[in-house]
Amino acid sequence: MAGEKQKALKKLQAARFALHEANLYLDSHPTCAEGLRYFREKQAQCEKVTAAFEEKYGPLTAAASKAEESFEWAMGAFPWERGES
Amino acid sequence: MWKYEKTLQYPVNIKQPNAALAKVIITQLGGPDGELGAAMRYLSQRYSMPCREVQGMLTDIGTEELAHIEMVSAILYQLTRDLSIEEIKESGFDAYFVDHTTGIYPQAASGTPFSAATIQSTGDPLADLHEDLAAEQKARLTYDNILRLVDDPDVRDSIKFLREREIVHFQRFGESLRQVQEKLDSKNFYAFNPAFDKPKTKR
Repeated sequence: MAGEKQKALKKLQAARFALHEANLYLDSHPTCAEGLRYFREKQAQCEKVTAAFEEKYGPLTAAASKAEESFEWAMGAFPWERGES
Repeated sequence: MWKYEKTLQYPVNIKQPNAALAKVIITQLGGPDGELGAAMRYLSQRYSMPCREVQGMLTDIGTEELAHIEMVSAILYQLTRDLSIEEIKESGFDAYFVDHTTGIYPQAASGTPFSAATIQSTGDPLADLHEDLAAEQKARLTYDNILRLVDDPDVRDSIKFLREREIVHFQRFGESLRQVQEKLDSKNFYAFNPAFDKPKTKR
C-alpha cells in the first residue's frame, strides 16, 4: 500500500515540477507561445493528478480539506516522515 | 513544498512616506522578536513535535509568519518611497541608506543584522512550545511599542492586524502545549523530553 502511495506521489511531484519549471521559464519569457502552450498542458495535468491524489490520500493543503467528520489536514502524516515523500 | 500567492494577508496602503517610522518598524522584520525569526523558529521546531496536530499548528503558523514578513516588508517599502536626500538625512535613515539604499534588509532597529541566535529549536516539545508562547508575547509587546511611536492611521491599521495575530497565535500555542502535556506518560511528572527520552524499543 505504501508503495502505491509513493508511486502516486512521484507522479504528482513530476507533474508539479514540470509546471514549476515552465513557471520559471515564463517568468523571463512571458510571451513565448511555445512556453505558454507547455504551461497550459502541465497546468491541466497538475489539476488532474492533484484531484486524483487528494481523493485517495487526503488534502495536500489545509484549504483542500473536506472538513466533514474531522479535519484531515491535522490528522494525516507530514511529508518528512520516512515513506511519505 | 510551498506555494506563493500574489496577495498580502491584510492590506498595506500607506499614503505618506516616513523614513523615521521605517527605522523602528524594521525591527519586526529582522529584530530579536521579528517575523523572520518567528517563521524560522516554528518551521524548524515542527519536526520534533510528538503529534500531528502540533506539527500542523507549527507548519501553519510558520507559514503565516512568512506572510507577515511580506507585510512588514511592504510597510517598509511604502514608507521609503520618493524620499529626498534631505528627508533621508533629517530622519536619521542615512545610516541604513548608506548600506542598503531603500532595499529591504532584515535587521533590528538598532542596526544589528538578523541572527538565528535569537531563536531556538531544542528538540524538546515542551521547551520549544514554552519558547513559542514567550515569542508571541514579545512580538505583541514590540507591536505595542510601535503603536506608541506611530500616529499615521494607515501604518497603525496594518500594525494592529499583525499585533492581533500574535495574540491568536499565543492562544493556539497554549492549546498545543496542553495537547503535548496530555500525551505525556503519567509517570513523566518531571516533563522530560517526550520526543527523545522514549522507552527503548529493540532495533
